[in-house]
Amino acid sequence: MIKQSIIENVLEAALSTGGDFSEVFIEDKFVNSIELQSDKIESSISGRDFGIGIRIFSGLQNVYTYTSDFSEEGLIEAAKRAALAISGGGNGIIHPLQKEIVKPIHMIAQLPQTVEHARKVAVMRKANEIAKNYDERIRQVGLRYVDEEQNVLIANSEGKFVEDKRVHSRLAIQSTATDGVEMQSGFYGPGAHAGFEFIENLDLQHYAGEASRIAVTMLGADKCPSGKFPVIIDNEFGGVIFHEACGHGLEATSVAKNNSVFANRIGEKVAPDIVTYIDDGTLPNEWGSLTIDDEGEKTRKNVLIENGILKGYMIDKFNARRMNAEATGSSRRQSYRFNPTSRMTNTYIAPGKSTPEEIIASTENGIYAKYMGGGSVNPATGDYNFAVAEAYLVKDGKIDRPVRGATLIGNGAKTLQLVDKVGNNLAHGAGMCGSVSGSLPVNVGQPMLRISEITVGGTKGE
Amino acid sequence: MEIQRFQEDLLKRAQEVGFEEAEVYYEKSNAFQVKIFEGEIDSYETSEEGGVGFRGLYTGKMGYAYTEKIDDDSVSFLIESAKANADALDEDDGTDTFEGSDHYSHHSRYSDALANIPIPEKISFIKEVEKKTLAYDPRIVSVNHCVLQDFEGERVLTNNKGLSLHDKMNGLVVFVYAVAKERDVMKTGGAVRLTRDFSSLDADEIAKEAAEEALSYLEEKSIPSRKYPVIMRHDASASLLAAFTPIFSAEKAQKGQSLLKDKIGEGIGAKNFSLVDDPFHPEALLGRNFDGEGVATEKTMVISNGTLNTLLHNRKTAKKDGVDSTGHASKSSYKSTLSVAPDNLYIAPGEESQEELLATIKEGVFITELSGLHSGTSTISGDFSVAAAGFSIIDGKIASPVKQMTIAGNFYDYMNAIESVASNLKFVPGGYGSPSLKLKELSVTVD
Repeated sequence: MIKQSIIENVLEAALSTGGDFSEVFIEDKFVNSIELQSDKIESSISGRDFGIGIRIFSGLQNVYTYTSDFSEEGLIEAAKRAALAISGGGNGIIHPLQKEIVKPIHMIAQLPQTVEHARKVAVMRKANEIAKNYDERIRQVGLRYVDEEQNVLIANSEGKFVEDKRVHSRLAIQSTATDGVEMQSGFYGPGAHAGFEFIENLDLQHYAGEASRIAVTMLGADKCPSGKFPVIIDNEFGGVIFHEACGHGLEATSVAKNNSVFANRIGEKVAPDIVTYIDDGTLPNEWGSLTIDDEGEKTRKNVLIENGILKGYMIDKFNARRMNAEATGSSRRQSYRFNPTSRMTNTYIAPGKSTPEEIIASTENGIYAKYMGGGSVNPATGDYNFAVAEAYLVKDGKIDRPVRGATLIGNGAKTLQLVDKVGNNLAHGAGMCGSVSGSLPVNVGQPMLRISEITVGGTKGE
Repeated sequence: MEIQRFQEDLLKRAQEVGFEEAEVYYEKSNAFQVKIFEGEIDSYETSEEGGVGFRGLYTGKMGYAYTEKIDDDSVSFLIESAKANADALDEDDGTDTFEGSDHYSHHSRYSDALANIPIPEKISFIKEVEKKTLAYDPRIVSVNHCVLQDFEGERVLTNNKGLSLHDKMNGLVVFVYAVAKERDVMKTGGAVRLTRDFSSLDADEIAKEAAEEALSYLEEKSIPSRKYPVIMRHDASASLLAAFTPIFSAEKAQKGQSLLKDKIGEGIGAKNFSLVDDPFHPEALLGRNFDGEGVATEKTMVISNGTLNTLLHNRKTAKKDGVDSTGHASKSSYKSTLSVAPDNLYIAPGEESQEELLATIKEGVFITELSGLHSGTSTISGDFSVAAAGFSIIDGKIASPVKQMTIAGNFYDYMNAIESVASNLKFVPGGYGSPSLKLKELSVTVD
């Protein structure tokens, strides 16, 4: 994308004031986004994101700059301007750049950039028909198709020089149901680190059907009661609870500065024996997967919690310095506009032994969260909240009627201690995670779980 | 390649290949951000960025494309992509480019003085804020987010109907979040400042606000879960308003995604509730003199004393409803297609102080912060159930912090449940504002 000699000059200019590490991240990304509303293709936009991020360390100082100016003068000037912030006694050595060939672990069959719009639109129309025809109360269907081809080049003063191509495809379906008075919506958004083959092979009957089924089910639902209940969280996107409640607290972003309840606790028991929690960026073609992270490190399977014992964190190069630890292939950024930091990839609770039937049958009076909405967490305190998109009451070991407006709140470290059943049906779901280094594709995953008690905030009056 | 020449080439090429209309939207910005941790610079960021958004009418349909790479190849990329995108659309939906408004305001959002503050001065100020926050009380154990950002940006809209508009702005933001700890309980509290006047910032005052906010949440107590009269502090109220803003968009209404669809002229809120969008409000940092289509912006009364006057329109939605555009065509950047959004949307302030509002409540809850708004709100149904932090109110006074809560309700009911509106209008980043409000009651669940 940019000549190696220019990159070397930029890396050198970045160290001119005594920094001890410099890095260049070049991004050239092609994006296509198409929207369908009310049976019509309403908008379609294509774009090219292009820019360069330059990062300099001097001990525990971290300087970042980015620009879209790709001329050699422009880049050197940007590097020098950033270097002004450093007055280091670093050794400032540039190791000769060694081109590293990384074998991609996520195969792409059809680059979306080479697929004409008509084929993308055809899939959208088919999904639209399925969602719309699900029930006469479905009045609105909105679809959004997005593909991205991100080409990156990462080089640093340690001699790293590596390129990668990341391809993401996603189809998001939102169905709105109305009975004339009220409106409710249902959503499903399958995505993968894959090309158009993923979109073409999607089980549209399932995804579009589910989006509409959720909307219609919630239309007839009672308001959710408030109080403390055992909560059964179904597999796949249900994993968002531990993404919020634990995952963020295991990122070096908060651990390195002791802003996490999990800081300095490696080897301690933080969860019941049945809980094993893993972040794995190598799962083939999953939405949160990468071959290399945004510092050029190979992604790997990082076991965070094993049989209840805290084993490790997700660590990036910079926080590794503060923590005196190794980076774990977990450094990510939305684009060249973001200083990278430790983030999740595909994070999941490993499967246990209980069957979903057993878990439900052993619950007397609780809440069954079939599909989760999103949520958020304060990493310093571990307090989390999240919305349930489709919930049911559980009575006497059976799933009872649907309820809506349920929000779960609690404290991550405490909730983790209360997991009392882990199912055998692990599945992963795609989501977007927003944090300091931007909005990133991540998978959350788990088998069906039961938590013995969570505070449920509902809209039903007492 | 120079941007001026790039724009000219692009418009010329568009005409040559058969675009009936063409528009170029260019944005350029630069920013500086410094983050302090334990007295040292933890991160330091500078940036320069920009990009070009192109849209053009091709066989009667509007195709869009953008690029951040300004070179000869990109001219072809934009033209070819916009053509393909126009082809993908189903039909001519009546959008076109704009000739221009009769009159534009020349409100300035740029301060030369701010642009000239040296970086070391900004760094020493934010270091001072961190130091003072930590020193405020021994229970403040860290400052987990201490950031100063400033930015300046300009935008240019030109089209082949002769329109050529230019706008520029700058601003500075300070965020400080303190962590307070007592026994095993950690709580965070923050302070935010938005300004174009650097000299107005007072490190002592910012440190005090962040520290006191974090400390105020210590020694939390539980209260029974039930319905309570609620005072929503200005910032919590503004964040809820921001989450429900799409309901005031004519675009959402026309798609059947807002229950305000046929409510123009009707009462939809309490008599003391007025909602204003003002691109020129002196307290708000942002705003613009022309919208994403080049229409002159102006102050809009969305709701007056509970009555819905208008929804927010761009030219496309206005045409559909047979009204004039309200100047709310939104382009969040050159990367986006046109949508509808407000500039500085706020709830008009009343006469009473927040203390006077509190004094009217015998037993209630004072809400100071909401989180999980993106997932806990449905703009389609109006339902919300979101995590909240705050205090119990007993006999008209703030009694004690309450453990993590959720508040739940429906925004359409909420607008009607406003009993009083305080005078303390404040804006939050993003351009939303509110004074503190008293709500008749909301459902509160406590952890």
